[in-house]
Amino acid sequence: MIEVNHLSKAYGKRLAVADLSFQVAPGEVYALLGPNGAGKTTTLRILSTLVRPTGGNAKVAGFDVVREPLEVRRRLGLVNGGMRVYDRLTGREALAFFASFYGLEGQAFQEALNWVVELLQMEETLDRKVMEMSTGMRQKVVIARAILHRPPVLLLDEATAGLDVFARRALLEFVKAYRDLGHTLVYSTHAMSEAEEVADRVGFLHKGRLVYQGSLTEARSLGQGSLERAFVQVVKEAA
Amino acid sequence: MKGIYRVLWKELVQVFRDGKLVFSTLVLPVFLMPVFMFGPSLVLDRLLKGAQEERQEVAVFGLPEEALSALRAANLLPKPHPDPEKAVRAGEYPVGVRWEGGTYRVYGRLSGGLTEGQVAVGKVQAALQSLKEAKVAEVLARKGIPHEVLTPFRVEVVNASSEREKAGGLLGFLLPFFLVVFVLSGGQVVAVDATAGEKEKGTLEALLMAPVPLLHLALGKTLATVAMALLSGVSGLLGLALGGALAARLGGGLLTETGQTLELGGQVALDGGSFLALFLSAFLLALFMGAVMVSLGLYARSFKEAQSYMAPLQLLALLPLLFLQFRGFFEPQAWYHLVPLFNVALLMDALLKGSATPLQAGLTWGSTLAYAGLALLYAVRVFAREEVVFRN
Repeated sequence: MIEVNHLSKAYGKRLAVADLSFQVAPGEVYALLGPNGAGKTTTLRILSTLVRPTGGNAKVAGFDVVREPLEVRRRLGLVNGGMRVYDRLTGREALAFFASFYGLEGQAFQEALNWVVELLQMEETLDRKVMEMSTGMRQKVVIARAILHRPPVLLLDEATAGLDVFARRALLEFVKAYRDLGHTLVYSTHAMSEAEEVADRVGFLHKGRLVYQGSLTEARSLGQGSLERAFVQVVKEAA
Repeated sequence: MKGIYRVLWKELVQVFRDGKLVFSTLVLPVFLMPVFMFGPSLVLDRLLKGAQEERQEVAVFGLPEEALSALRAANLLPKPHPDPEKAVRAGEYPVGVRWEGGTYRVYGRLSGGLTEGQVAVGKVQAALQSLKEAKVAEVLARKGIPHEVLTPFRVEVVNASSEREKAGGLLGFLLPFFLVVFVLSGGQVVAVDATAGEKEKGTLEALLMAPVPLLHLALGKTLATVAMALLSGVSGLLGLALGGALAARLGGGLLTETGQTLELGGQVALDGGSFLALFLSAFLLALFMGAVMVSLGLYARSFKEAQSYMAPLQLLALLPLLFLQFRGFFEPQAWYHLVPLFNVALLMDALLKGSATPLQAGLTWGSTLAYAGLALLYAVRVFAREEVVFRN
């Protein structure tokens, strides 16, 4: 569902992403792990067609991210920690606004809304203006916006940043539930504990390079039961 | 095309739900414009009348009795002083007069706008002029020469402008000037919020993820800017009309700082065609400026930075309009109607005066539409530049 082949992105002389290759299958959560500045956000921005790669290629749901950006966007959802929705709209209006770009209007929108409200338990947020919501409620609207059109591919980039313990827990539960629906997820984070909870496979990014990838079980055994230990060991060897 | 409408709707809902913003952008100008235009004029009028009626003290040296009498008759109070110039400079007296070697030297502090001192100087000058004329008349009478010898003929200046030109008055300059001011100030509210504001609030990335061409996003945001700019323009012009009605009630003129009265006009009766032409001109102007503001706003890292771009833009946009004041000095040339902003102002002036030609209108609209298109394309290019979109 996601195919990344020798992907690179340079900003001047600085390589933000270098020769990156990985695949993610349907019904799988792939955790992209790395410290700040490792290239996680750039990778996800390339996959979501917001940034053009300077080398290699990537396909999402069978469509090339450079040549067919609109087709990719129709099949993709993106959530990142800094993302917000319009504060003077109600939750319902904000979702209707974004849903309309996917042709979800009238009855189709209502059905999508019912599905997402049940999945995220967000009934109370619908008729409240976004500016009057708590951080957790707002994040639910951000997630709902990203999945309202039921994209087969969902990218989450530091999506728990700024969330309290309850909102964070709800998000992690949602990731597992969305994976169980057969969708493809890339979960980018620097929090190893979150990856341990949701990931099926992991990839370690260090200075733009993928220095390790494998199943969660393999990675853990590499670090004698600890993903964090495995990460530190691999990064030290790569440095 | 639905994407354009959706973005436009979203931007306008965001703006209209901000009560303070609506009040300051659309309501306040209606009431502020008359105050801004006629407040100073009314205060000045009252001050001038007060100064005329007040009996000012005059520092005098060496004046003959006839001159002292003339000053007293002009509602002035002469006070002997050894050095009137020094007294006036020290602010002890608003005006002073010295009679020396056949010259009345009148002292006043004449720098820095209209002051009570200037009014007092005017009163002294008028009193001495009357004295001079009385003395001339006395001499002529003594010699048996009729007084009419001093005025062998009269000079009359007649305003030969057409009725519509006269009715246009200052509006020909004020209308485009204030329209640009309000279009820019109203439009920038949306343009900044819809671009740098979206970046700063973290909503732009989500919007760019929508499967919609960038042109639709740029056009939606530009049209929202245009809508708000036009509403702001209408609000400002309502204020101008209110001010015009007030001016008509108060005599139809504006008092300048030199005490001159300027004819405001305000009796313009536009036919349907001219009105539509004016609206089309305003729309194209707003479209052009809207696209420029959206481009600039998106280029900025933050709301604050975007606002800092808007202030010079406003000055830059007003610069060609200032030259509109001198339109009477130059022969109209067709290429003037290709100069951005200046062309719209020229056309509006001509429309108000009923002198617009199809060539002028065609050149103005065509070129402004082309400028708007170029600005819009630039906005789309800015939207497509990742280093701009993510440079916050």
